[in-house]
Parts: sequence; C-alpha cells; structure tokens
Amino acid sequence: MTAILRVESRKLVRGTVILTGLLVVLSAFFFVVFPSIQEEAELFEAVYPDYLLALLGIEELHTIEGFIGGYIFPFVWILLAGIYFAYVSAGMISRDIRTRRMDLTLSNPVSRESVVLQKVAALWVPVVALNVGMMAVLFAGATVLGEPIDLASLAMVHLLGVPYLLVCAGIGLLLSVVVDRVETAQTTALILVFALWLIDGLSQMNSDFEWVGEITPSRYYDPSAILVHEEYAPIDATILLVTFLVLVAVSVLVFVRRDI
Amino acid sequence: MCAQTDVVETNSDRDAATIRLDELAKHYGEVTANDAVSFDVHAGEIFGYLGPNGAGKTTTIRLLLGLINPTSGTADVLGADIHDRRALTEVKADIGYLPDSLGFEERLTGQQVLDYFARMRGDERRAELLELFRPPLEKPVETYSHGNKRMLGIVQAFMHDPTLAILDEPTSGLDPLKQDRLHAFLENERDAGKTIFFSSHVLSEVQRVCDRVGIIREGELVALENIDDLLERGGKDVRVHLAEPVDEERFTTPAMIDVETVDRTVRFTYTGEANALLAHLARFDVEDVDIGDPQLDDIFKHYYGGSTLGETG
Repeated sequence: MTAILRVESRKLVRGTVILTGLLVVLSAFFFVVFPSIQEEAELFEAVYPDYLLALLGIEELHTIEGFIGGYIFPFVWILLAGIYFAYVSAGMISRDIRTRRMDLTLSNPVSRESVVLQKVAALWVPVVALNVGMMAVLFAGATVLGEPIDLASLAMVHLLGVPYLLVCAGIGLLLSVVVDRVETAQTTALILVFALWLIDGLSQMNSDFEWVGEITPSRYYDPSAILVHEEYAPIDATILLVTFLVLVAVSVLVFVRRDI
Repeated sequence: MCAQTDVVETNSDRDAATIRLDELAKHYGEVTANDAVSFDVHAGEIFGYLGPNGAGKTTTIRLLLGLINPTSGTADVLGADIHDRRALTEVKADIGYLPDSLGFEERLTGQQVLDYFARMRGDERRAELLELFRPPLEKPVETYSHGNKRMLGIVQAFMHDPTLAILDEPTSGLDPLKQDRLHAFLENERDAGKTIFFSSHVLSEVQRVCDRVGIIREGELVALENIDDLLERGGKDVRVHLAEPVDEERFTTPAMIDVETVDRTVRFTYTGEANALLAHLARFDVEDVDIGDPQLDDIFKHYYGGSTLGETG
C-alpha cells in the first residue's frame, strides 16, 4: 500500500524545490560575507556580548566550521527548515479533513494508521533534497573560499540534523490532527517552532533558567559542536528520534478516534 | 402495511441484509443529526434514502463508513460492525462511495486520480465506465465543472466492481441526460445483483429508480416504504394564473394543500392524479400554468406530519 505515499511525495516536490533553492541561495550569500567576517571575527567575539554569541551558538567564528555551525545552521536549518517541516506537517491531516479529501481516502481499504504513516513517510522528499542541496552548497562554498572542510563532519552535521527536523514535523503533525482549522494549525506550528528556538537561546543567558531550554528540540542538536569539536552526541540525536516517534504515535492515536 | 411487510422480510432474509442500522444515533452537542435510526438495506436492491437538505442523510452515510463515531447504537455494513475499525477497513474493498462533496487532489489530472484509487482497490471496470461517463481525464481536476467532478466520482465509485455502492446525492450537478444514464446504469447494476444505497432530496428521482425508500426528517426516520406506496404520495408544485379572480373555496379540491391565493394567481401543492388536476383546471379560464417538483418538506409534512412513524407505522 504505497498509493498515498506516492501522491503525498509528489505533492511535496514543488514546495521542496522552492525551499531548497531559497536556503541554498541564502547559504551562498552567507559565504559571500564570510571573508569580511573572518577578518573581524576576533573583534566580533570581543565586542558582541556573550549572551548574543550564546544565543546564536557562535564559536570559532574565524574558521569555516565555526562560521557554518554558528551562522548558517542556526538560521537556515534550525529556524527556517524547522519551520518549513512543522508548517507542512500541520497541513497534512487538517487540510484533507477540511477539503473532505479524507472522506474519499478513507473510503478505500486503508486504515487511518496507514494514512498518517504514509503521509509522514512522504517527508523523505524534503529531507533528501535539503540534505543534498545544503551539502553541495556548503562544500562548494568552502572549496571556493579555499577553506577545506572535513567531509565527515559536514555529513554528520546534516545527518544529525534530520532528527531535529522530524521533531518539528511531529509537532506540526500533532497540531494537524488536533486542530480543525488548517490556518490555525499551521500558524501555531510556525510560531511554536520559532518560540522553541528562541527559548533555547534565551535560556542559556541565565543559568537559573537554563533548564527551561531542556524542553526545546534545538538543545539536542548543536551544529557548532559537531563541526568545530567533532562531538556527535548520539544520545541527543536518539532523544530527538524518540520524541518524533512519540509525537507520531500520539497523533495516530488521536486521529483514529476522532470524527473527521 | 408496508412496514409490516418489511418486518417479515427482515426476519426471513436476515442474511441478505447488506446494511443494517440498529438505533444508530449521532448528536453534536444539542443538535441531533441522527436519532436512533434503524432500517435494513437488502442485497440486490436500490434503496433510496430520501430527505430534505440537512435532514441527516450525509451523517448516516458517514457513520456507515466509519468516518464519524456514533453517539449510540450500531450498524453492520457487509457484515462488518462499524465499531470494528479493522473489519470495516477490510470490507471497504467491496464498497464504492460517492460523497456529496467531492474532495479530489485538485492538482492531479482525472487520469492520475483514477490511478491513485486503482492502486488501492483495483479498476477492472474503468474502461467500461469511461464509455458512459466521460470526464476530461487529461485535465487537472481543479479545472473541472461540477458535472465533470461528479462523473469522475461515479467512475471511481464503481470501477473496482463493488458489491455495495453508497451514493450521496449522486445526480447533483449532472445534466438531465447524464442523470438518465446514471439511473439506467444503477438499474443494470441492481439487476446484476449489486446493492445500491442512494441518498437524494428529489422525490421524483427516488420514485423513478428505487425499490424501497427510507424517509428521514430532522434526523428521524419517519417512514420505510415500498416504492409503490411512495408513488401514491407524489406531489406537484402548481401555480395557476387565471383570467379573472376566483373564489378560493370553489377552486380548491381536497388534493390541494397549502393553497395560497393572491388576486388572480393561485399557488398550491397538488397531491392527487395528474389527469384529475388537468380536468379540474380545464373548468376554469386559465391564462398560464406552472407545474414543477414540490419542496420535499411540504410533501413530507402532508404525508408524515410531525410524528415519527418509523418501522412500526
């Protein structure tokens, strides 16, 4: 039974192409400014207050690894791609119910569990496209700037970034089965992912509140640590994966019981 | 009388029931969409589910397909209890469903939509159906008219040769020619042993094609009739424009209900024989006359009043 997976995958192609294109262009712009940032990196790190550096996860800004991990990834991957995954997933179920498409889908001999799982599985499209596109532009950019980058670390920062995106998708999916209005589900998902990102950064400024950041998914994905220190934190990635699976399981449980 | 016949039939054909509703109810807060509805649909018949818009027809259908959960009561569809999600999912391979509002994947072409459903439940009769109903398959569904969407819906509902078809207002949006074609097609399917559950708010349509009829009003099943009995309960909306004002008492006959007279125009719902009406009108100096399908609710009020007849009435 892959009919739904096929159609859902195809539906994600257009958005994925636009997203990947945008993020690749954005990353390329970052590279354009890298040389000037590199020159003033020390000044940067001296002048900027610590909390801002912490908020952005900036370390070793004068190296290409520090720049990618501290500048490009927090914006491009954690914030923008995270929002995209949450936003798209938040429309998956709610929109089909709203447009009565779900009536026809469920008139087939297919279980509600299978419908949700096939829809989630269709996220392979943006996951693959985003990884390939970003790896290519980052590797090309580093090479052009004459700053060779370790391919293994580059691959790991992408691979370990996938569970983070899946958690964002899980948040969207749960909203998608709980909230009736498509717009409400998608806006809430978008705001929530942004807020979680902000909370993670802000909580690091004050040690009294640092524990608050423990509930944010971005706390469990640190691109700088991976690129600069080659610390891969497999446990953190596992925590994210388990969270994603729990979110999907709860979504399925809600969806099989509700009226559509 | 008819209801008693039904009870006898139900007992003797217990195994032949394709759909069986048992006190099925759905409430949305204070609103009662379906109130303890009970009836059987037998194998090999066209069962009409007749009621005005908003009477609860779609709610019953969505309950039968497991799209919404009943507040109380239950139902069997092709032997599967609607509370048993797994069993219900399995029998859907043998069900064709045409919803009242068709939610297709708008960006796909008609062809791609049919391919999508074919992967889930087969399409051995697709070519045959496309001879009868011809939506523009190469175009995206978002460009379709109501009628074309309806035809695509009919093709997807029947292309896997289901033993039971559940059709929610199947002719809405179809031109009269296509409506006739659908009616003929349904009769052929019935003759081939298929069961058709057919909801409609058009009395004449149900009278034309159905074998048995359940009538629903405000969420309650008010009658279960053989078609012959329903045929006697027809009605026409009549507007007569006379040459000069007429005395209402002299003009009115017992077969006329809801009579309204304004100057030289008389408007009423006629529940008798067509011949008798024409003969009656010929006695007056008529300038113009309009005869059309009546408001279903007016007719129902006349025949079924406010009371619930159910299966015992």
